[in-house]
Amino acid sequence: MTERRGPIGVPLVVQDWDKLTFRVHRSAYRDDAYFADERTQIWDRSWLYLGHETELPEPNDFVVRNLGGRPLIFCRDTEGELHAFLNSCPHRGTVLCRESRGSSKLFQCFYHAWTFRNNGDVAAIPDQVAYPENGFRDTMGLRSVARLETFEGFVFVSFTDDVPPLREHLGAAADYLTMIREQHVDGMTVLPGTQLYGVKGNWKLGVENAMDGYHFSPTHNTFVGYLRETGFAVDDDDQYAYNLGNGHSLLILTGHGGRISMLWEPRFGEAERERTAEHRREMEQRLGSERAHLVADESHILFVFPNLLLFDLEGLSIRQLEPVAPGHTDVRAWQLVPRVEDPDVRDLRMRTMVSFVGPGGLATPDDIEAYEAVQRGIEATAGDVRTELDYSDMSRGMASELTDDRGRSTDEGAMRGFWRHWARAVGQDPVDIGTPPPPRAEPVPQPSKRPHGLDEILAGLGVQAQEVSR
Amino acid sequence: MTVTQGAPTRVVTRSEVEDFLYAEADLLDAQRYDDWLSLFVEGARFEVPTTDNPHLPAAVSGYFVCDDWNLLKARVKRLKSRKAHAENPASLTHRMVSNVRLAGQQGDELRLTANFIVHRSRDGGMNAYVGRHEHRLHVTEGGLRFLLRRSVLAHEHLTAGARLSFIL
Repeated sequence: MTERRGPIGVPLVVQDWDKLTFRVHRSAYRDDAYFADERTQIWDRSWLYLGHETELPEPNDFVVRNLGGRPLIFCRDTEGELHAFLNSCPHRGTVLCRESRGSSKLFQCFYHAWTFRNNGDVAAIPDQVAYPENGFRDTMGLRSVARLETFEGFVFVSFTDDVPPLREHLGAAADYLTMIREQHVDGMTVLPGTQLYGVKGNWKLGVENAMDGYHFSPTHNTFVGYLRETGFAVDDDDQYAYNLGNGHSLLILTGHGGRISMLWEPRFGEAERERTAEHRREMEQRLGSERAHLVADESHILFVFPNLLLFDLEGLSIRQLEPVAPGHTDVRAWQLVPRVEDPDVRDLRMRTMVSFVGPGGLATPDDIEAYEAVQRGIEATAGDVRTELDYSDMSRGMASELTDDRGRSTDEGAMRGFWRHWARAVGQDPVDIGTPPPPRAEPVPQPSKRPHGLDEILAGLGVQAQEVSR
Repeated sequence: MTVTQGAPTRVVTRSEVEDFLYAEADLLDAQRYDDWLSLFVEGARFEVPTTDNPHLPAAVSGYFVCDDWNLLKARVKRLKSRKAHAENPASLTHRMVSNVRLAGQQGDELRLTANFIVHRSRDGGMNAYVGRHEHRLHVTEGGLRFLLRRSVLAHEHLTAGARLSFIL
């Protein structure tokens, strides 16, 4: 427990089952002490998303990246195997690799010229005779992360051995990563060109924002207006948010935009309509009708606790959250694209995704403004003697938790699931007021009622769906 | 937009290009977005590549901004709206343009490079953005117009708070 932290006697997460309110104490976004607790209780103890294997296409490729506050070298060795090493010379701790990426068989520390192979072995210690002979050299290899596992190309690491197998940690989130790979017969690859940017807000605000369908219309008013003008009506009906367990969550969206090469909309242009129909026929053959419908027709925003957000929308963007301080988060975002793609479609994909998701787009800057305005605004109630004022409210749609109903995407149920998981992880279990409902199984994601996109696009092209073998 | 090849249609001096860039900077600092958009040829593009990979085209690399003409018009419309929350109230910007170089002219298309510093104040803080413009201009009898407005940041990353919600 960490009672010494935060305001004495003030619970961090409070759920009132009589009034159906859910409150989070704002010190959780502000205090250095909780930030330190998160480091030891979450970032040092959980699987973390490190990167995608296609960022390192060739043997000897490497990138350096901070993860959970630790500088890492993420590399592929000469044999092609993936590694993640602490980017710190085992000798005296110097940052070993000071390039941000490249290709190298060896990493040499500039300070005393100790040199290591990209599988972590010591290659050379200058004037080694001055060191003991009995195995000293073998103890001085690069320090690896405790665990590294890959699922569908997504590479995760842990700084402790005390984690379940990755597949078990991913749980119900895993299938949504598989669906991404299934979108295209040749699979997906990460493009170079990473959006690297900082936000003056707590990392948990970034998670909340992604799981918050309620903000979409007011915050993205201008983007919604743009979509309308291009012939697409944004619709929030029949869309739901799910808690997938282990802190992971999911929004399934069907009313926020088309999906390039899978679900056509007018702003994609006529040529793309024909190509989409062709690709949908191929998906139908390869995946079967039901699976193709799930993979192609629903947009997903997936959060894998604690640092991976996948925006599987018009295109695909991977976003990684790296907490730097309570009020400062570094964000990295990559475009995940089909390995093989018509250049015109690629151009459309890039324009469409970048126009929405990213710090120079038409929508994400408003999200960033929201995190930053929250981070500034919550100072107003810090330390107020009226302690009940220093809470943020996430009660929306809480009544659905008393029934078997799914929470709507425009409710705050996915946020509540996240905060409950977070609170337990940092040893501050949610405090119940009134009688909590009996435990229930989280609602399982259900397919949306939207029609099969293949029928839709063929009808639009004036082709009878029956002509295609289904 | 057809661009004629070969010999320059008319000679453009560096001072004419400088005047064009200075006038553009003033329009942006004054948030005169309609006037700014009139500096573009219809069909022009607006690009800001990512900081880690500034030399790859948008088809093979992530970008901060890769607007075609429709998106550029949508961006301007957005910036004029009170609902562009990230720029309401608008950032206070102040631009310096220097090291202007003409990088070749073919027919009525002129390439140029120029260094920029944009200071932006907002929410009690100030960010400095430095980098290089790599523009392509259309040369007409009446003046110069953007075919491609491309700005390459000389940053490792966008520091905290330094989103590109305004026109760089």
